[in-house]
Amino acid sequence: MAAVAVGKAAGAAYGHGESSGGSGGFLGPRVPAEVEAMARGLQEVGKETFRRLLKVTVNALEGKDCKDSVKLIAESTDLSEEQLAFLISGMYTLLREALRLPLSTFKQEVFKEDLKELRRPVSEGTALMQASRLPNVQDFKWRVDVAISTSSLARALQPSILMLMKLSDGTAHRFEVPVAKFQELRYNVALILKEMNDLEKRSILKIQD
Amino acid sequence: MAASVVPETDSIRRAVLLLNAVDPGRFPRLLSRLLQRLHLKAETSFSEEEEEKLQIAFSLEKQDLHLVLEAISFILEQAVYHNLKPASLQQQLQSIHLDQDKAEAFANAWAAGGQETIEKFRQRVLTPQKLETIGWQLNLQMSASTQAKLKSPRAVLELGVSNEDSKNLKKVFVEFSHQELFEFYNKLETIQAQLDSLT
Repeated sequence: MAAVAVGKAAGAAYGHGESSGGSGGFLGPRVPAEVEAMARGLQEVGKETFRRLLKVTVNALEGKDCKDSVKLIAESTDLSEEQLAFLISGMYTLLREALRLPLSTFKQEVFKEDLKELRRPVSEGTALMQASRLPNVQDFKWRVDVAISTSSLARALQPSILMLMKLSDGTAHRFEVPVAKFQELRYNVALILKEMNDLEKRSILKIQD
Repeated sequence: MAASVVPETDSIRRAVLLLNAVDPGRFPRLLSRLLQRLHLKAETSFSEEEEEKLQIAFSLEKQDLHLVLEAISFILEQAVYHNLKPASLQQQLQSIHLDQDKAEAFANAWAAGGQETIEKFRQRVLTPQKLETIGWQLNLQMSASTQAKLKSPRAVLELGVSNEDSKNLKKVFVEFSHQELFEFYNKLETIQAQLDSLT
């Protein structure tokens, strides 16, 4: 069944402007050569073998090392090395492109269900691949101090804030924030939130694709 | 009566003698200049040129000039530390035999700029790193190499953190999604509630 689903996906991807909506299918205006080769090669592949190939491909997408698994498949089936290469590279490309699209546009329900059978939900696959981005805050710790007395002031009674920010790229930043700067930070964050809200309400975001 | 804020050490006595001999005309200006720069951590010494001009203006030798400047700075720092009232400062200075007109000049300069200087000292922080600047940018991410058709708003916060050792500002870039920024804002609100409970 999975083979049929992948076949259907490959077929739908043969967009060329003739597919539904004329958008060219999710593989773009030209189907990659490896996907075409894979679609042809799938005819001879059994269900069990296909399942194993699919699993290997997903592992590869997640960045895991699959040399051993591929070797195992090669030994247990009578597919030639060349055929295996075509199949795996085609499936890899197909899956990678499919995972780019948000769920609302991708209509191959059967394909998704088959992925679930392998216990690899589509959303998980998407989450695994992070595009390049600036670090975000992983851990944020703070404390409020009041300086009672300092070497320059017998009675200071000055509050101050100490922040520790751990970012997702592993760096940690500890710094003091004077109260006035803290107000500025709070004001700016509130301002950004307001702008985000305004942005999300605008019509450009309501266009469904 | 409060304990003497300015101890009568030898160098202080000598400084008082020199101060009393100094021309009172330009004295107030010197005082307010020193008061304004008191809070700066770096050596607030005058430049070579300025020192020479001062030497001539007050007819003091280089060593004596240094002593006088240091004594004035010390007196002012003590005034800051104890948060003295101008009248109290004048009284203290007169009790170590500073001439009345000079003591009055001190009191006047302190009355004019004292509170401001104290406030500047309050703002001084001991930690090496301090948040200096805040900048931000709101982007709408349309797609990425791993994901198409996104339309997700992302905010980038640029925090300028100064380091005591180096003069440059370290720029820390942090990215937030809407949800992440909202959570961050809630934490800031908690901090604010704590600050409010202090007053």
